[in-house]
Amino acid sequence: MTYDYHEPETVAEALALLALHGEDAHLVAGATAFTLLWRQGLLRPGHVIGLRRIAALGGITSTEGGLVIGATVTHRAIERAVEVGRYCPALTRTFASVATVRVRNQATLGGNLAHADPAQDPPPMLIALGAEVVATSAAGERTIPVDELFVDVFTTSLRADEILTAVRCPALAPGTRATYLKFLPRTADDYATVSVAATLRLADDGHVADVRVALGACGPTPVRARSVEAALRGARPDARHIADAAARVDADIAPFDDVRGSATYKRDMARVWTERALTELVS
Amino acid sequence: MKLEHTALVRAPRTRVWKLVTDVPAAARCVPGVAAVTPSGTGKYKGSLLVQLGPVRLVLDGDVALTATDEAAGKASVRADAKDSRLGGTVRATMDLTLVDKGEDTELRITSDVQIAGRIGEFGQPVIQRKADQLMTQFAECLARTLA
Amino acid sequence: MRADRRLIDVLRDDLGSTGTKEGCSIGVCGACSVLVDGELLSACLLPAVFADGSVVVTVEGLAQGDELSPLQVAFIREGGFQCGICTPGQLIAATALLAEHRRPSDAEIREWMMGNLCRCTGYHGITRAIKAAAA
Repeated sequence: MTYDYHEPETVAEALALLALHGEDAHLVAGATAFTLLWRQGLLRPGHVIGLRRIAALGGITSTEGGLVIGATVTHRAIERAVEVGRYCPALTRTFASVATVRVRNQATLGGNLAHADPAQDPPPMLIALGAEVVATSAAGERTIPVDELFVDVFTTSLRADEILTAVRCPALAPGTRATYLKFLPRTADDYATVSVAATLRLADDGHVADVRVALGACGPTPVRARSVEAALRGARPDARHIADAAARVDADIAPFDDVRGSATYKRDMARVWTERALTELVS
Repeated sequence: MKLEHTALVRAPRTRVWKLVTDVPAAARCVPGVAAVTPSGTGKYKGSLLVQLGPVRLVLDGDVALTATDEAAGKASVRADAKDSRLGGTVRATMDLTLVDKGEDTELRITSDVQIAGRIGEFGQPVIQRKADQLMTQFAECLARTLA
Repeated sequence: MRADRRLIDVLRDDLGSTGTKEGCSIGVCGACSVLVDGELLSACLLPAVFADGSVVVTVEGLAQGDELSPLQVAFIREGGFQCGICTPGQLIAATALLAEHRRPSDAEIREWMMGNLCRCTGYHGITRAIKAAAA
């Protein structure tokens, strides 16, 4: 059994193929996840639409303090892009921390997000940065905050007739700090047991002006830790406040047991690593 | 894989009993079920679509009511299904127990699910989560139907 | 060519180029490391159609005729292998590393080579060999 492989050169052609083949079509960019699912026998589409030749989906553009990253840009290209390092060094480090060089050379940003594995690295960082994705259909474009993209394990809010075409990272207020921490008790190329991304900005008087925290591998989707944020916003971020705020992460996550840790252990580690991330950002 | 689910249905036990032992009617409360048709006494044929992101399972098979004891509020259901496109089978034995809770009824479902073939590739955490969702929606739908 | 064939299938089965090994089949172990237009990739994860029109370098392509590459010589001299099953992948990965960093630090070597598993050497011989080849 195999499939017909299509390689359109424009988004319009790709959308037309998607409309033609409907549920029998599957989109791929780097095809890392697809190759594994195909070989496991879990996906049996009749048509696979490869997006790699569509020039409009490649490239990284700086925009008035922000960034637009095309959906088919590989993790490695993002990791190496000077613009990304200038925008936010933690975003560079996030992409550099994914799996191995080989996977990063093949796997793309758009594929990573559309695959919606809750343990992946870029989503929490993009949520903490307030990024949004561009979803393109025959009807036009709409934007979806990365925060609202994930609805369940392997499931996004993208419609069947949409293609994720780009990610937009907004300009960050001057003085914003960012970090991404991965708890890797097994090997350095593994998925995290829990991961924490955070951005934080202090006001001139030393109080927390802005803070966003998001976690990976702590439930069916990457999740924003709004209780932690609420507890810190406006507070003076001393060690006690940070510890108290980090403890509230328990209300924001819904981990389940997996091979990288039990739900109980993940809850403990989510608190510990949230505290570490926030401590790093105020030190 | 053993799964336990409990739900409170805001209706008296006799009404809940009538619905859960009426397989075609109860099946309408399972999200993704298409046409359940009788195939003998207490036996039915049916189809269940389960979607997990890009992966679609179409489970075709048989459902049988294997035991009922209304006085004790206990019923057992056996389901055997397979997905012929991906290759894989699901066998489930579900024991239902209805317990009076004042004017309401507590529905307890203990399931023993055996999964063979490709479907098992998902791994237990994901399958368990999906089964939990299905059962929660089932119980909510029963409650709505009887409201 | 069938669309679902991977680069590893074409290399080994169609071209008989069996230097590239298939280990885990899920992109983790590094045994199937190849260079596609100079980029280090897992041949077990790459649809073969993605390499259409590209230059693919496998372990067979490292020597110039009978002359081993300096990296291959260093692996022999420094004890960079024992059983040898992972060695084609180690050599390809290290070749990609040296193309990018002419003088990698120990940390850079460990970071880069982390995705190429070896169950014999304990990695010290591999690290020594890469440093020796870079010197």
